Amino acid sequence: MRITFVKKILASGQPCAKCADVEARLEATGQLARIDEVVIADERNPESRGMQLAARHAVAVAPFFLVERSGQTTVYTIYLKFAKEVFARQAKGPDEAQEMLRAEPGLDLI
Amino acid sequence: MAASLSAAPTGRQARRPPLPAAPAAAPGAEPPADPAELERQAEAVIAEAFAHSERTAVSFSGAEDVVLIDLAARLREGRRVPVFSLDTGRLPGETYRFLETVREHYPVDLEILSPDAEETAQLVRAKGLFSFYADGHGECCAIRKIQPLRRKLRTLDAWITGQRADQSVTRSALPTCQPDLTFSTAEHPVRKFNPLAAWRSADVWAYIRRHDVPYNPLHDQGFRSIGCEPCTRAVGPHQHEREGRWWWEQAAEKECGLHGQNVRPIHMVAG
Repeated sequence: MRITFVKKILASGQPCAKCADVEARLEATGQLARIDEVVIADERNPESRGMQLAARHAVAVAPFFLVERSGQTTVYTIYLKFAKEVFARQAKGPDEAQEMLRAEPGLDLI
Repeated sequence: MAASLSAAPTGRQARRPPLPAAPAAAPGAEPPADPAELERQAEAVIAEAFAHSERTAVSFSGAEDVVLIDLAARLREGRRVPVFSLDTGRLPGETYRFLETVREHYPVDLEILSPDAEETAQLVRAKGLFSFYADGHGECCAIRKIQPLRRKLRTLDAWITGQRADQSVTRSALPTCQPDLTFSTAEHPVRKFNPLAAWRSADVWAYIRRHDVPYNPLHDQGFRSIGCEPCTRAVGPHQHEREGRWWWEQAAEKECGLHGQNVRPIHMVAG
């Protein structure tokens, strides 16, 4: 299994707060050590590797994770879902739902 | 809070006030799209969604996305349309009555989804009934909308939404068909179809007029986007419809996406 963590630099040059929050949670749970590669998606540079990965995998939000297993790549845009499925770390349903809402702007209009 | 649910039935013949004015076009806005072409494209997306899997359903918010149901009903030529709506428990009375209008008017199997009682009770016990005004709407929406939606989507392979690119700044590249990365799991992929992605608000209202589609009477009172009663308000003619939702929160808190990139969709709408 190979895990890539893609985090964002905003057009302002500032790091994305949500990405920083997820990275802090990865660190606090010891999961950061199990991430194989951290890639930057720089909004100022569409050619940055993270932006290219986002385009390739049709991802519109950051941060996100790519998990390659047996030649298959799974994309996770929800940290708690990633942690549950990859690291078997359980989260409360409403917490995960709230993260889904943050990850997909406009879902609250459904 | 929601108004009484026991009002008289509101069949479409019982109510025909003037339709709300379509939003004025912004200076430099693109010319209107050909209505027949928009309808044809939307029908094609809906047909593709139902062809994708029998486990496909239309998501209906009780607002102007009734257009989706009208399109699907015409397309399916008498076959019943599977539809689900999220009853948060906080919808306006007009929306509850409108859901029943739609159930009577169209050949739909309308499933009303409710939040988990214990999750809702825990939130209310801890924070009261209006915590969203202080803490933001995310926590409440997660319990009352997203959790029921998650449970429903575990039973579906695809869903059809009324999401449009013009509804928010982060949807300018909304595809008509996409893998739903939010609700898919490694074992259960879900696809999301957005037949109205290329439609603007004015196109939706033109369709409603053209086809005499019943609509939520709140639209006649200046409500352009309709959600829960405490989180929805009327807007002025030149305000974006999003300004009628969660207006006490900063715009930046409502919208956060990966901008400046081209998401590779299955089908991308132009413009």
